[in-house]
Amino acid sequence: MRTHYYIIAAALAALVFTSCEKVSPIGVLVSGTAVEDRVKMSHLYYQQYKNELEIKIADDEYTFIVGGDSHVTTDPGRMDEMLAIGLQNNDLLYAHLGDIADTKAEYYIVLDSLIEEAKKRYINKYYDVDKNNPDKYTLKSDPQQSYLYSEITFPFFPVVGNHDLTHNGWALWSNIFHSSFYEFPVIVTNRETGAVEADRFIFLDTASGTMGQEQINLIEDGVLDGSDGIRYRHTFVFSHTNIFRPSSTQFASTFPREETFFLLNQFVHWNCSIVFCGHVHAWDEREFEGVTYLTLDSMSERNSPEPGDYLVRVHVKNDGSLTWEKVHMNYTAKKK
Amino acid sequence: MKKLLLSFLMATACAGIAYAQAYCGSHAFDGQHRNEVQGYIMAGNNVVTDGFGGFAASYRRHLTNRWDVGGDFQAQFGKQLYSFDVMAGYRLPLKYGNIFFDGFFHYNRYDKWGFNETIVNLSAIWESPYVDIRLGESYIHYQRSGHRGMSDGYSEPLTLTFGIGVNIRHRNNPWNIGLFFRNYDDFYYENWNINWGVRFYAPLPRRMRLFGEFNVRPAGSISQLASKYEGSVKLGVKYNW
Repeated sequence: MRTHYYIIAAALAALVFTSCEKVSPIGVLVSGTAVEDRVKMSHLYYQQYKNELEIKIADDEYTFIVGGDSHVTTDPGRMDEMLAIGLQNNDLLYAHLGDIADTKAEYYIVLDSLIEEAKKRYINKYYDVDKNNPDKYTLKSDPQQSYLYSEITFPFFPVVGNHDLTHNGWALWSNIFHSSFYEFPVIVTNRETGAVEADRFIFLDTASGTMGQEQINLIEDGVLDGSDGIRYRHTFVFSHTNIFRPSSTQFASTFPREETFFLLNQFVHWNCSIVFCGHVHAWDEREFEGVTYLTLDSMSERNSPEPGDYLVRVHVKNDGSLTWEKVHMNYTAKKK
Repeated sequence: MKKLLLSFLMATACAGIAYAQAYCGSHAFDGQHRNEVQGYIMAGNNVVTDGFGGFAASYRRHLTNRWDVGGDFQAQFGKQLYSFDVMAGYRLPLKYGNIFFDGFFHYNRYDKWGFNETIVNLSAIWESPYVDIRLGESYIHYQRSGHRGMSDGYSEPLTLTFGIGVNIRHRNNPWNIGLFFRNYDDFYYENWNINWGVRFYAPLPRRMRLFGEFNVRPAGSISQLASKYEGSVKLGVKYNW
């Protein structure tokens, strides 16, 4: 009988322990920054630097490129290729769907170096050194504007993934990318009418398989609803966790039911054109309530060693219509 | 000390890997009381809806000592979730326990977001005196009735149903307590999101039984970084005649 009491006591202790706010059911084994704290930190950063995220372009036609689940380790060939493809095609921005690196400090050093190199190549392509001040750069398309290196934003926008969080990975991830919950507009001027219009890019923190209460409250408060008075042509959402499962044999976790329905409803409310997801390492394309959902395959060397169509490029045209296409990656993973 | 360590390891292992059917399992027909009715109240906190509460009621009729049919209803306020189901089951007695073959048809109305969900679940439950294991498949379809009209909806790929429960005493004892680990609850079936918790039942006068469970429902794969999503308590009474 005493054994029974021990079992009951142990079970109750385990339940109380794991239902605490700060402890995940496996938190004893793997600790990390919970979604509530990540969103609070991200939102503070977003509020502070909101205006710097805004992208204004003279033209009303542009492309952007999306990839995900790169799981960068010591062989960063695919990530390097994605950055090169975007620069070569004059894509306006990059979006990454999370699990950007496997969580080790050395992998994040590799990633950080890659992005710094890409930023230099980006500046080299779109900027000139300021003739009056060698520490500054002027836009080739608008030489009146002069910026310090640190003031130039390399247009690489990721969401955080579950693999970015293990072993306190948030500290590494947020040190480079700062915010996992943000939105920004791409403001365009209609070529024919001269009217100012915008497309909206929303990045959600879904790395934990749930949005968390703080993020849901902020969304319900309209934090991501954009600026008043701007007509949004398109809204694009980026989430690590996928909404739809590609097949019965995909056991990667999706959102719980209530959250699935909350999100599907919210995407309709935002009048989304495309929602991009990752996480499950399998391609899936479907439409629900007029919203296109694209779940991208993993572009990582380990999961997809052979060349393949791992990226997606979206083309937003001057008449407001959009098309998307898969983009081939040629890099073959190094043999170990 | 050895017993304590073993007990803790057992409880931790159960908590880490396993499930259960609500109310400590199905229990075989006792041969005398063909009708069962039960009701419970629930309360909890969910990430999306904050606090919620509600009630559920169900009825089972044992047609023979092998076949039974029934229906369930629930209302969860806060979530604005209203559900009903009908079921039919067959019991295959074994030398050690029973196997229950159950078929459910569920309808859920998530009114807060305008979603209608229909589920067909077929499961087999092996129930021994101390352990019950459930395996099955669910067909899940949902559609939204929003401002764009009724959508065509979406049918999920077949979803594996699995769960395990353990009791500390023989199932026929008047009171019991156990642990469960499962990817479903009374009215929903998930993919790789796992519920787990503790359950109990205790005797009441006049062929009634008190039962309840405390359910932790994390989000995210438990093999990755499961996060706090929902915690709830159920407390109910079962009566047969």
